[in-house]
Amino acid sequence: MHRLERLINLVAALLHAERPLTADELRYRLPGYAEDHGTFRRAFERDKEALRDLGIPVVLEPVDDAAQPGVMGYRIRKEAYYLQDPGLAPDELAALHLAASAVRLDGADGVAALWKLGGEVAEQGPSGLGMAALPGTDHLPAVFAAISARRRIDFSYRGRARHWDPWRLSFRNGHWYLAGYDHDAGEERMFRLDRIESDVVATGDDGAFERPAHIGVQPPPWQMGGEEALTARLLVDAGQAGWAATHIGPDAVEEWRPDGSVVLAVRVTNRDAFRSFVLGFLDHAEVLGPPALRAEMVGWLEDLCRS
Amino acid sequence: MPKLSADERLQRLLALIPWVAERDGPPVADVCARFGCTQDELVADLELLFLCGLHPYTPDMLIDVDIADGRVWIRYAEYFARPLRLTPAEGLALLASGRTVLAASGGDDDGPLGRGLDKLATAMGVDAGQAVEIELGPVADDLLRTLRAAAAESRQVEIDYYSFGRDERASRVIDPYAVFSAGGQWYVSGWCHRVDDERLFRVDRIATATPLESTFKPPGTAPELAAYRPDADDPRVTIDLEPPARWVVEQYPTEKVEELGDGRLRVTLVASQPAWLERLLLRLGPHATVVGGDGGRVAGAARRLLARYQG
Repeated sequence: MHRLERLINLVAALLHAERPLTADELRYRLPGYAEDHGTFRRAFERDKEALRDLGIPVVLEPVDDAAQPGVMGYRIRKEAYYLQDPGLAPDELAALHLAASAVRLDGADGVAALWKLGGEVAEQGPSGLGMAALPGTDHLPAVFAAISARRRIDFSYRGRARHWDPWRLSFRNGHWYLAGYDHDAGEERMFRLDRIESDVVATGDDGAFERPAHIGVQPPPWQMGGEEALTARLLVDAGQAGWAATHIGPDAVEEWRPDGSVVLAVRVTNRDAFRSFVLGFLDHAEVLGPPALRAEMVGWLEDLCRS
Repeated sequence: MPKLSADERLQRLLALIPWVAERDGPPVADVCARFGCTQDELVADLELLFLCGLHPYTPDMLIDVDIADGRVWIRYAEYFARPLRLTPAEGLALLASGRTVLAASGGDDDGPLGRGLDKLATAMGVDAGQAVEIELGPVADDLLRTLRAAAAESRQVEIDYYSFGRDERASRVIDPYAVFSAGGQWYVSGWCHRVDDERLFRVDRIATATPLESTFKPPGTAPELAAYRPDADDPRVTIDLEPPARWVVEQYPTEKVEELGDGRLRVTLVASQPAWLERLLLRLGPHATVVGGDGGRVAGAARRLLARYQG
């Protein structure tokens, strides 16, 4: 008997079952399993693993039969198996298909998902859309599952155990970030997902928290510090001015000079990070003020001249 | 198409059965197109399916499969009435790719993609925009549009480009092959007529792009979406890092990392571009000491910058 046939029969039996079926019952009912207990057990374990890898929720539960106290059995609960139909219109499904083929997320496959939603729609869209590749990280599926179930997660980060309500995944600057409520710190936090040092374990019940309507946006590095806020005035030469204005945001533009250079007013609460940012322009930018910040930059450069 | 394993065939069948069962004999060709298989593959799977069903596998307990006149019917498979729900990884892949395309195309949340994403997210218990947020790097929309259109029409473009690695601006004529985002940055790959070689350009470092009348013949092979490929001949630099500078190993690809004790590290990095190394050393300041490779640059660079402040 073909293994595919056995797997289909197994899923059908477990989905149809009104109560959990014991391993013995499955061996007796399903064609294609060996009579020998050891051989059956190995084949059954492998099949069960294959189903779980596909995301099929095979659960082990007490059979709850007075005649067989303490005996456990397997089943697939329909409500956990069946897709809740999102009711996609044909053009919506086509758009999703186009997006899935234009973007590659490492370690994930959108094609199997599209099959479940009604298959691929052979509609050609604009190919000039450009393609994108997003890196994956090991923890993305587990974290996303916890976000969608609103379950708390435990993990280790920088050598300490953390307890979080996960709210949102963000991809920016080439990295995945998680925003959420940090129970240990007692406040909203954000950090890079690839720096998690352990497995991400969801704990407790579904719906354990409410997501806030507004989740903070990750500030730029020079605003991630507890220093007294100051407004730096930064002159950027014409060649880099457009990039700088786009990067910091048009609101920061104080003045466009006739030579094409720009003066930006930048709020700073982390001076080290701001200095790093400015040094990235090499000699195409200059801190105009305030005087203390300008003097710090000069001092930093003077020390480097002596090195 | 590569041959699928039994697990993959199962995955496809579990999605295909409810779709066919819900309809009155859809065309075989349509089923094949939707579920990405050939007619032979579909028939092979269906020939197994009609042997399947429930204990005791008497004819009345088997799934009924009919193929006739180029159409297919599946009946008596009520337990497969709905497809399997999406796994978190699949749901995330769809949401992330959809949000990426919205971000890349200027974000029309009311279009079919935006509506589809909202429905999908709701079915997964999240809000599409809130649960997954994608930022592909700040570039001007019109610049992206110009480059994409040129790539689609195989039209040459003249770009005013700032080379970050050499710290120099120049005008170049390029044959844009592909516009794509990788690692959070937008790139255009193509043939550069200034160096007569294939090059990768970061879109945020293009000041202006002017489409030309001239066209080019696009390359036969699909471009690779890789942003950085180190070269065996690139110069290496070895740096001792003080504890505050340990972030370097998280930020840049390293060839070698050695713990020196007390939180200090010795790292070897590929430094193909002089300006890149200058920036790194200027930023690290007293927290880094070059112990191998071209270390003399930083003092010179610092003097150049200082001249601006003392001018």
